[in-house]
Amino acid sequence: MLTAMTFLPLVGAILIALTPGGAEALQRMLALLFTVVVAGLGITLYLGFDGSNPAAQQLVEHAWFSLPGTPHDIPVYFKLGVDGISILLVALTAVLMPLVVLSTKGHINKRVKEFMIWLLLMETGMLGVFLSMDLILFYFFWELSLIPLYFILGIWGGERRIYATTKFFLYTVAGSLLMMLGVIWLTWTLGTSDITELTGATAQLPGATQAWIFASFALGFSIKVPVLPFHTWLADAHTEAPTSGSVVLAGVLLKMGTYGLLRFGIGMFPEVALSAAPLFMGLGAIGIVYGAFLAWAQTDIKRLVACSSVSHLGFVVMGLFAMTQEGLRGSVIQMVNHGLSTGLLFLLVGMIYERRHTRDFEQYGGIASVMPIYAFFFVFAMLSSVGLPFLNGFVGEYLILLGTFKASPLWACVGVTGVIFGAVYLLMATRKLLFGPITVAANRKLQDLNGREVGLMIPLVLLCLWIGVRPNYFMDKTGASIDQIVERVDNLREARIEAMGSVPVLPTPVELDGVKLR
Amino acid sequence: MITAILSQDLDIQTVTSAAWIGGAPMLCVTFGIILALLAEVIPTLAAARPLAFVGSLLAALFFELALITDPQGLIFQGTFRADSASSSWGALFVTAGLLSWLYSQRYYKLEAPFKPEHDILMLCSVLGMMLMAGAEDLLTFFIGLEVLSVPLYALASFRRVRNQSVEAGLRYFLLGAFAAGLFLYGAALIYAATGTFRLEELREVGIHSKLGIAGVALMASALFFKVSVFPFHFWVPDVYQGSPTPVTTFMSTGTKAAAFAFLFKIAFMLPESSAGTLAIISLLTMVVGNLGALVQTDLKRLLGYSAVAHAGTLLLAVTASLVGDPLPDGPLDAALYYMAAYVFTACGAFGLIATLEGDGERFTRIESLRGLGQRRPVLAGALSIFMLSLGGFPATGGFFGKYFVFSSTLRADMMFVSAIGVLLSVIALGYYLRIIMTMWMQPAKKDVPIPSAYRPSSSFATGMCVFFVFALGLAPGWFLDRLL
Repeated sequence: MLTAMTFLPLVGAILIALTPGGAEALQRMLALLFTVVVAGLGITLYLGFDGSNPAAQQLVEHAWFSLPGTPHDIPVYFKLGVDGISILLVALTAVLMPLVVLSTKGHINKRVKEFMIWLLLMETGMLGVFLSMDLILFYFFWELSLIPLYFILGIWGGERRIYATTKFFLYTVAGSLLMMLGVIWLTWTLGTSDITELTGATAQLPGATQAWIFASFALGFSIKVPVLPFHTWLADAHTEAPTSGSVVLAGVLLKMGTYGLLRFGIGMFPEVALSAAPLFMGLGAIGIVYGAFLAWAQTDIKRLVACSSVSHLGFVVMGLFAMTQEGLRGSVIQMVNHGLSTGLLFLLVGMIYERRHTRDFEQYGGIASVMPIYAFFFVFAMLSSVGLPFLNGFVGEYLILLGTFKASPLWACVGVTGVIFGAVYLLMATRKLLFGPITVAANRKLQDLNGREVGLMIPLVLLCLWIGVRPNYFMDKTGASIDQIVERVDNLREARIEAMGSVPVLPTPVELDGVKLR
Repeated sequence: MITAILSQDLDIQTVTSAAWIGGAPMLCVTFGIILALLAEVIPTLAAARPLAFVGSLLAALFFELALITDPQGLIFQGTFRADSASSSWGALFVTAGLLSWLYSQRYYKLEAPFKPEHDILMLCSVLGMMLMAGAEDLLTFFIGLEVLSVPLYALASFRRVRNQSVEAGLRYFLLGAFAAGLFLYGAALIYAATGTFRLEELREVGIHSKLGIAGVALMASALFFKVSVFPFHFWVPDVYQGSPTPVTTFMSTGTKAAAFAFLFKIAFMLPESSAGTLAIISLLTMVVGNLGALVQTDLKRLLGYSAVAHAGTLLLAVTASLVGDPLPDGPLDAALYYMAAYVFTACGAFGLIATLEGDGERFTRIESLRGLGQRRPVLAGALSIFMLSLGGFPATGGFFGKYFVFSSTLRADMMFVSAIGVLLSVIALGYYLRIIMTMWMQPAKKDVPIPSAYRPSSSFATGMCVFFVFALGLAPGWFLDRLL
């Protein structure tokens, strides 16, 4: 089933490639059909997933090739599986894609065929990343998933698309190539590329080796997320991307980074991660505040949402590196939340842009009186992003702050201000956009949302509500896998405390054999 | 199997059956050359000319592939070694020759009457490469080098009416002759120091005297010239740009592979202390190649600089073998895989340029590719795949080539060098992506005519290249198990 899920979009892409150039309706239909089928598979997978089992489920395993090694060759498998860390992201990807395909009707009007092909290829890449249970296969999909976005940004993007695309691509490739060295080193020294085996075996490596490999992975993933000093590509990429590109980028692609940090950073190298935790928590917390201030200063609605992404992902990174049960659970659910609420916001920004062809706040104001349905959805998405109780954002942020407070009260305090600033800039944006008098005449004749637009947002809205009201329905699926990591981390913490002979409040940074992590 | 067929009646006293089998690929090519030459004189044989070319190369390919699994060891009185490495390299030369030949079909207009000579020269060159890759003796190698180079000098200036082409030939000739001189002088010094040309004996004796090391340095410089490594790379962009594109196709893949094959063979002669220098040369080569390519506006020049950068990566594998990879065959296998991917990718890329430009060399500027994605999606798609493979993206052969080379350098504990190496290959993506971008993301200019060149032979060759680029990128096991 996982194989079918991963490669059905590829089949769809090939089919679309075979259709005649002008048959746009057919191409849209095919893309929708394939993504809907994959979404169906994703939901079935989700319902059938056993949350109490920490191991990977639904395993598919085929021998792929053997790398030369001593004393025996290193077998590399085509191995797919899903566990508590990936299940939510897989389901999110599968559910989001048909909506993205639906949303293209408004803004993708040229070269539809190519767009659908790239969108479907991207789905294959993303699902491959989340489902791979073999490190080399993971890396394979990881780099592969860059190419579709490159084309989507570069062909259908805004005016400065070439600049934004190149920047995005070179940034992420630099990170992932350094990560490749980590992948090579890890598989060579441990003689396997199976992720489960690797996770169990990393503890036997010398500390310095662990630290270097962790550093190479963390760098690659941090650029993707992006964690603070690497965030500059994101705003440009988001601003120039077409709406559907932004939705996929924010909804799923950035999650590949946080997912990687969790599975390959914390999951594989808990010891190094524990030492590096203060650094990453700090970067996360500063990212929250810095992102919020950036967003505050924007005059372009889309750039504002993009900067809010930096802020929200700061929460995720902070929660991950708190390395407590609450923090990890909160982060995983927050990954989904960010996908839903930021996805919604990007869709909404796209919809108003399609009508007015400007994203400048100055051009808006008082939209609520002309487009009441639009206003409802925008306020909803905004509140979910702010983290209003009973909506999804609240659950994630609350758990993350709770978890971080246990590990580091300082950074939790810094992070919590981000919630306030988040409310400030989002409410301000809403006021400027929706309320007040109508100052620009063109806004008086705006059409409210049509059935398609409402229809494609309804599933996202329902999911936001569902997560907000019954978070456990979702978090139970992730519980066992996360507890496994937490258990390992807690053992390490205790061992450290014993070794030190005192009880430190914070996990203190330890220099590993002279290797200092940046 | 072949042993059984060939050894029945051919067991002449001085020439052993191993020699017949080990030399079979070279015999096939020689036979092809003779046949093609005869076809020039005997009118009734004229039709057999293409047959002689393709047939002899296919037969050679067959024997090379068979030799990979059935190596024959030292033959020809210890001057040639037909083992799996030399046969794998040999298979690559033949492939490069075949692909370049396919792309050269109907490429020449004015020079069409001389096409037979073109083909014969190319066959000679392939023969020289085979001799180089298998040579176990410095003089045998030198003969191979000359058999390779002299026809290539002529081929580079094959377009006699174009000044650029003549200049390319002359430049290549002058510098090539200089390199050959360096090699000979180096070999002489080694002989003076050790009293032998045989690699076998050199391995036993080792090179310890300063005289011998000076000889090795001269020899290595000559090889660096052939593989286009910094600071011996200056001829590359000019010669690649000036030569007729099918010849560039052949030159960029075959010559480089042959010189690398021998470089791996003589790596043992280099003193271990030179590993650092070698690593620095590799990295500088990558810097020069990548930065040079970044500013080019001409496609052939750009690919020329990119070829320099790729030579730098391959030289990293040589460095790894010098430093000591815990897997003794690791660096060589990695380089073979890298080169295999490079042969199909570069042949495809240069070949498509040949297809596009037709006779007029019109479409060699990057600008002229604008909008090609809409005008000729299949062609542009193939060229994009080759660019992604050159950049080392997954699902293409370039990815595993890069993966294996850097595996080897990491195993040899060259962390820092590897890290700089991969970062340099990020620069490379800058210009590969520029080509893709120009084709797909920039609208065509109105006054640029739609390239209409369609030739069945080059479409077939492109199809083969795309197939093998994907095969090398998706099923590396097949090649690792059978070929290396």
